[in-house]
Amino acid sequence: MKLRFDRRSVLKGMLGGSAVYVGLPVLDAFLDTNGTAFASGAPLPVRFGTYFWGLGLTDTPTGGSRWVPTKAGPGYELMPELEALAPLKDKVSVFSGFRAIGDGRANLVHWTGHASILSGIAPASASKFDAPSFDTKVADAIGTSTRFKSIDIDASVSRQPVSYSTRSGSTFASPDATPLALYHRLFGPDFQDPNSDNWKPNPSIMLRQSVLSAVTEQRHALMKGLGKDDQLKMDQYFSSVRDMENQLAVQLQRPEKAQACVVPQAPKDPTRISSVDVVNANTKVMAKLLAMGLACNQSRVFTFVHTSGASETYLAGQSKIYHQITHDEPTDAKLGYQPESSKLAGEVMKGLGVFLAELDAIKEGEGTLLDNSIVLAFSDTGYAKIHAIENIPMFLAGRAGGRHKAGQHVAGKGDSVTRVSLTAMQLAGAPIGEFGVGSMKTTHPIGEVMA
Amino acid sequence: MITKTASAWALLGATLLGVVAVEAAAPGPTQLPAIKVGLRRITETQYRHTIADVFGPAIKVEARFEPERREEGLLALGSAMLSLTSSGFEQYFALARSISGQVLDEKGRETAVPCTPVDAAKADDACAREFLARYGELLFRRPLASAEIQSRVKTAGLGANQAGDFYAGLELALTSLLVAPDFLFRIESAEPEPADPKKFRLDAYSKAARLSFLLWDSTPDAALLAAARSGAIHSQDELEQQVERMIASPKFRDGASAFFADMFQMDGFGNLVKDPAIYPKFNQSVAESAREQMLRRTLDLLVAQQADYRDLFTSHDTFLNRSLASVYRVPYASKESWMRYELPRESERSGILTDIGFLSLHAHPGTSSPTRRGIKVLEIFMCQATPQPPANVDFSAVQDSTKGTVRGRLLDHMENEGCSGCHRRTDPLGLALEHFDGLGQLRTMENGAPIDVSAEIKDVRIEGARGVGEYLRTEPRVPACLVRNVYSYGVGEKTYGRDKAYLAVQTQAFIASGYRYPALVRQIATSPEFFQVVAPRAKPSKPIAEATVTQLQSTAE
Repeated sequence: MKLRFDRRSVLKGMLGGSAVYVGLPVLDAFLDTNGTAFASGAPLPVRFGTYFWGLGLTDTPTGGSRWVPTKAGPGYELMPELEALAPLKDKVSVFSGFRAIGDGRANLVHWTGHASILSGIAPASASKFDAPSFDTKVADAIGTSTRFKSIDIDASVSRQPVSYSTRSGSTFASPDATPLALYHRLFGPDFQDPNSDNWKPNPSIMLRQSVLSAVTEQRHALMKGLGKDDQLKMDQYFSSVRDMENQLAVQLQRPEKAQACVVPQAPKDPTRISSVDVVNANTKVMAKLLAMGLACNQSRVFTFVHTSGASETYLAGQSKIYHQITHDEPTDAKLGYQPESSKLAGEVMKGLGVFLAELDAIKEGEGTLLDNSIVLAFSDTGYAKIHAIENIPMFLAGRAGGRHKAGQHVAGKGDSVTRVSLTAMQLAGAPIGEFGVGSMKTTHPIGEVMA
Repeated sequence: MITKTASAWALLGATLLGVVAVEAAAPGPTQLPAIKVGLRRITETQYRHTIADVFGPAIKVEARFEPERREEGLLALGSAMLSLTSSGFEQYFALARSISGQVLDEKGRETAVPCTPVDAAKADDACAREFLARYGELLFRRPLASAEIQSRVKTAGLGANQAGDFYAGLELALTSLLVAPDFLFRIESAEPEPADPKKFRLDAYSKAARLSFLLWDSTPDAALLAAARSGAIHSQDELEQQVERMIASPKFRDGASAFFADMFQMDGFGNLVKDPAIYPKFNQSVAESAREQMLRRTLDLLVAQQADYRDLFTSHDTFLNRSLASVYRVPYASKESWMRYELPRESERSGILTDIGFLSLHAHPGTSSPTRRGIKVLEIFMCQATPQPPANVDFSAVQDSTKGTVRGRLLDHMENEGCSGCHRRTDPLGLALEHFDGLGQLRTMENGAPIDVSAEIKDVRIEGARGVGEYLRTEPRVPACLVRNVYSYGVGEKTYGRDKAYLAVQTQAFIASGYRYPALVRQIATSPEFFQVVAPRAKPSKPIAEATVTQLQSTAE
C-alpha cells in the first residue's frame, strides 16, 4: 500500500511538469542491497546461476567412473570426461557420490534427479516439481536491485523451450531460447548503458507504471471467491507484475557505472539443429551475451539449460540420438565402459567448458566475472544407462567473490544432493539455512568448500 | 473462512472506493456472492483471435508467448494449471503496448473510439469511460465494475495531461486492460441454480465465454454478450439458437482448427529439428507446411464437408504446397500456393497418419521411432496413455543395431520382461508405419534390409500404414476419444467416473449423427452438463468456497 502511494506521488510530481529530476520511487526490496552494493568501494556483487545438462556422465558397471576423481580434496586429477574443464580446474569444485533420495517415491526417469537438486523433494509426478526451484529463492534474496531478477536461457534447440526454474512447481520460466532473443531481452530498446554520461530518467517509464497500478488496484476484487489453487496462480501473476514494477523503478534510477560493461553487437541466430556441436556453439554465443548482461548489471541471477533431461542431442550425421545410445550401447568388454556414450559425454561437457570460459573472459576488479560468481552445474542423472539418481555429477564453479574455496573434489558417500544445493545458496549470499524435505532435508552445507 | 474474508474485502472495497453497484455480479435472484470455479490462461490462438475480433484483423500481434503445457493429452487442460512468469508478463506487457499503439494510432482511432474528446490535447473522462466500458466488456468477457473502469480513467487522464494528447492517455488505459488478469485468464464464475439453490451453474457471462472459446476460439461477440446480459442464455431455446448461429459462422472453422491443433498435438512443429545430413529436404518451411497440411485435411473433411470423422484415417484427399510436393515426390502443377491432391489408390499413404506431419513430429532427429509413433496413435486418437518407462530397465539384452532395421531392435524390447508390457502395446502400430522414415518419406529398405510392416495387436493383424488406418476406422475407442476430448477441452476439466454415463450418451449420439463433428459440438454445447458446476453440491454443509477448493484440487491431480 505504502509503496503505491509513494510511487503515485512521485508520478504526480513528475507529470505536473514541475520536476526535472525526481526522487526515486522506493521499493522495499531495493533498500536492502542497492544502497550498499554499488556504493563506491563496496565489493563487487556475487552472481549466482545454475547450468544444466542432460544425461549425466558415464560410470562403469564394475564400480569405476569416467569422471569421478580418485582422491578427494584440492588438486584433483582430471578424469577423461572432465577434460573440457582443464583450463578452469582451479575455479571448479567437483562433487561426486551425492544422491537424490525418493523416500518411497518412484524414480521418474530424467526428472527425479534434477527436480530433487532444485526443489529439495523427489516429485510425485513427472513434469511438475513439488516445491519451487531454489534459484527463485536466491533471486528473491540477491536479484531485486537489477533490471531482471533472473535471466533464464535455453541453448538446447529443443522442441519446446526448456527451463527448470519454477515458483509454483507447475509453471516453468519461459527462457530465451535463441541468441537474438537473449540479446533483445538484455540489450534491446529498454537497455540503459550504465557508462553513458548523459543519462536522463525517461518519463514514459512512469506512465508505464501507472498502467500497472490500474491492474494491481483490482487485486482484492479479483482474489475474492477464488479457490486456493487459483489464488496461488494469481499470486504468481501479481509477483510477475511486481517484478515488472521493479524493472521500471530500476530504469528510473541512474545506473551505477560498470567498468567491464561493453554493449555487444546483435548476434545472428544459428540454424535450428540440435546436434551437440551446434548446441555448444549456441552455448558459447549465449554465454557471452549473458556474461555481458551480468557485467552490465542487468541481472545477478541466471538459469542456463545446455541440453534437456532426456536430451535429443546427437553427433552430427549420426542417426541415433545420445539418449538412445546411453541405453542401447553395450559396455565394451576391453574398455569396461560405453565408449560412444563416454565420447558424447565429453562433447556435452565442452559446453560447460566454453560457458565458464566466457564468464572468465570478463575482467572485473582484481579478477574475473567468474571469480565473482557461483555457478551450480549439474545433470538429471548419474549413470544414464540405468537412470541412476546416485552419483549425479555436480560442480560449483567460480569463487563467489572469495567465499568459495574452489578447485576441490568432495566425495559425498551417498549424502543428499540438497547439501550441494544449500552450499550454492549460501555461497551466493542468500540467507537460507535449511533446504529439502524428508531424507533430503539438510541444514549442513559442505563446509570444506566454504571460506 | 474464505467466504468471511471475501465479504470483508467486499466491505473494505466498497468503503474505500465508494463502489456500490458491481455490474460484474451475475444477474439472478440470489444475493449470494458468485464463486469463481475456474481460471485458465488464454492460449496464443485465443489471444490472437480475440484481438482480431475486437480490433480488426490488421492489428499485428508479434510476441513470444509463454510455453503451454499438456495435461491428459490436452493443452486446454494444462492451461488450467498455468500462471504467468516474470518474463512472460514482460512479453505480454510489450505486446499490449504495441497493440494499443496500433489501435489508437492516427489511422485507427477514428473507428476504434466511439466518441470525440472535447479537446484532443486534454483528458476527457467521459469519452475515456465510454471507450473503456465498450472494450473492457469485449476483453474481459463481462461488463466492468465501475472501480475497474475508474482506475483506468485515471490512468488515461494522467497520460493525456502529461503528453498533451487524449489518445496517448487512452493508449495507456487500453494497455492496462490488455495486461489485466481478467483478460489474460478466463475466469469462470458460478451462481446457485434458481430452481435448486443447492446446485450451482455457470453464470451467464461464463456460459457465453465457454461457448465462444469452444466454438470460435475467441471472445464472445456482441450478440452472445447481449444474451448473457439479458439472462436469455439460460433458456434452452436461446442456447440452441446461439449455438446454431455460431456453428454457421465462418469463425467455427477457427474454433475447430484450435481444437484439432490441440487434440492432434500440433504444437511441436515450430521447433521441430532434423539432422540436415540425414534429411536434407527438411527445413522450417517444410515443418510449417506439414502442420498446415494436417489442419487443411482435417478442416476440409470435418468442417467444410461435414464428413464422417473416421474417414480422417483412410481418406485419399489431401493438400500440398510446393515445399511438401518435393518431400512427397509429386510434381507441383498449381499456380495457387496450395492445391488439392488425391493420393493414388495404390499409394501406401492414406489418412492423416501418413501425412509427413504426424510421421516427422513423432520421430527422432535422425531416424524414425515406431515406439513414439505407436504411443502417439494410442494417446491422441484413442485416449490411451502409456506409462513412463521404468527406471531400472535391464538394457543388457538390447544390443546395438547400426545394422539391420529398427524393427529388429524393438523386437528385442518386446522380448525383454521389463519392457514388453508397454512395448507390445505401443510398438505394433508404429512398426506398421515403418515404410516412412523420420521425415515421413517413403522407403522400403533400411540399412540394406527390406522393412517388414506387418504387425499384430492382440488378435488383429495389421499390414502397413493402410492397415493402421483401417484399424482406427473400426476401433470403438476412436469416436469415444474424440467425444471425451471435445467435452474436456470445452469445460477445461479432465473427465471422471461420474462423467461416464454422460460421455456414453454423447458418443452414441455422435455415432447416430454419422460421426459428424459439427453435430458433436452442437450436442455437447447445448447439453446442461456442459455448464454444470459439480463441487458445491457434493458437500452442502461446508462453506461454498472451501468446497470449491476441494474440487479444484482433485481436478489438478
